[in-house]
Amino acid sequence: MRIAIAAVVGVLLAAGASFGAVQLANASQKDPVIKPLYNYGAR
Amino acid sequence: MNDRTRHLVAAVTGLGLGLAALGPGLAPGFVLSYDMVFVPDPAFTRMTFGLTGVVPRHVPSDAFVTALAAVIPADVVQKLVLLAVFVMACTSAASLVPSRRLLPRLATGVCYAWNPFVAERLLLGQWALLLGYAALPWVVAAAPRAHEPGGTRRLARALLPAAIGGFAALTVSALTAVTVALATRGERRPRVVRVVVTAGVLSLPWLVPGLLRPAGVPGDGTAVGLFAARADTPFGTLGSLLALGGVWNGETVPRSYGAPVTATIWLLVVVVALAAYWRWGQERRGAVIAAMVGFVVASLGAVSPGGLEAVIDLWPGFAVLRDGQQYVAPLAVVVAVGLGLAADRAAEARWPGVAAAAMAVPVFLLPTLAWGAAGDLRAVQYPDDWARARHIIDGDPAQGDVLVLPWASYRSYSWNHGRRVLDPLPRYLHRRVIVDDAVTVDGTTVAPEDPRAVRLAPAARTGAPPAVTLRDEGVRYVVVDAEPGTIRPSGAATAVLRGADLVVYRIDGAAEATGDQVPVAPVAAAWAVASLFVFWSFVAPRTTLSIPLLGSIKPRDPHRRRTP
Repeated sequence: MRIAIAAVVGVLLAAGASFGAVQLANASQKDPVIKPLYNYGAR
Repeated sequence: MNDRTRHLVAAVTGLGLGLAALGPGLAPGFVLSYDMVFVPDPAFTRMTFGLTGVVPRHVPSDAFVTALAAVIPADVVQKLVLLAVFVMACTSAASLVPSRRLLPRLATGVCYAWNPFVAERLLLGQWALLLGYAALPWVVAAAPRAHEPGGTRRLARALLPAAIGGFAALTVSALTAVTVALATRGERRPRVVRVVVTAGVLSLPWLVPGLLRPAGVPGDGTAVGLFAARADTPFGTLGSLLALGGVWNGETVPRSYGAPVTATIWLLVVVVALAAYWRWGQERRGAVIAAMVGFVVASLGAVSPGGLEAVIDLWPGFAVLRDGQQYVAPLAVVVAVGLGLAADRAAEARWPGVAAAAMAVPVFLLPTLAWGAAGDLRAVQYPDDWARARHIIDGDPAQGDVLVLPWASYRSYSWNHGRRVLDPLPRYLHRRVIVDDAVTVDGTTVAPEDPRAVRLAPAARTGAPPAVTLRDEGVRYVVVDAEPGTIRPSGAATAVLRGADLVVYRIDGAAEATGDQVPVAPVAAAWAVASLFVFWSFVAPRTTLSIPLLGSIKPRDPHRRRTP
């Protein structure tokens, strides 16, 4: 029983976090294409 | 609840975290992000084993993926590997908490699997490094007992995920293991010798081709400043590293991470966890010193770039210390276990709410790791043009290599939603592919390492390399996988495929490529030794190799009776 509760709590936590993240992402959508196109990254 | 059940609960929690973190990345297709490159139907080629003369950073992780992809589709392999990182991280860290209570163990597991380090390295696509990170708590547990009976086997098994990950993962894990072995009291010498030998043998698949490269061991001291840790919170570089963040690449920091309020709460959680570890941690000495050493190494590039450059000048192999932030991994172990210990004390004091909060706080303070890091990690399909190109190039019996244009190592394909990724063609095609392996960060370019790329660079950089030059260098195909309308070889090159995403040119009469190859025999021997060592680590103690290979050599007892 405790296993089931722990698993459900874990999944619910994760699902909640996912939902929050999607809301955040939608609210602050930015263009992932950063010029110049061929860089490894930027500091 | 027995130990097995506790491990199972931690594994299920890790799976839940992995599913939440990957989100849209679990759809059919491939997640392509920075260094994370998976391709459909990968094949074992000379490149897989580091025999082409390039720096073998992808050895043996590419071989591991290729072997798995022979059995199950490659996109499923990628998802399983990424989920395994979360499952292993949660399970291994939880196992270090000396408590029979479930919540404190899960608090440790969640903290270790869901923190800025994991998020930033996942976005940077360093799944191979994360494999080693996920098993690091097992390494921390196994290193102090390496000299005990069965201890070396246990350590080898704990180091196996890092060994699969390759040089960066194994360097971090080996440094941690050696430090823990040195810092633990009593019988240091036999313990350290076993740790060094184990890490050394498991390193052979990438160490041997790396050392036998005709071009030698590369190490560009100028790159120290580019890959040094940087501040991604208001607390400066050292504060960011303490909070387990601080990756060099500002583009791979999770969205909203580092905001003053949440960053302050997270840093407080870290400080409380460290205090709890110091107060209640058992056998704390080794892990604490490993965390301190890791922190010092991580901060080297930022605090003393000149010193690190001098070290790299001394021996180029020390270039592995450039990307410093990866060395905070042992600090993550201490922080996670400390959080679990604090939660355990809270549960003991009948504050179950505090213990539950300890489990939830890493997720709530870093919600943007969820859902594919807030949508950044999405599965995509390779365009049909790529499959056509592979059909043409791999189906051609004539010899000759492939050159990729534009002359750069990273791409931002529109079909990958513009997300940066290391050019996948060297893995996608089954021929030798020459691609620019110089990387550019903030306008500064780190020198290329592949000798053939170095030779072809002056011509390739023009955007219109002469076909005759390419032919003489053994190039038969030129593939343009970005800006296909503007770049092409000049002279006698025939377009054999023109697509919206990719154009392929053929150059007839390619010469045979010369030099730069790593000899096969020593590399094969390295693989044989490492494989036998791994095999030995899994067989039961006091058995010989002949038993699993040939069956029992012990004669049957003639007087033995069968039970009715």
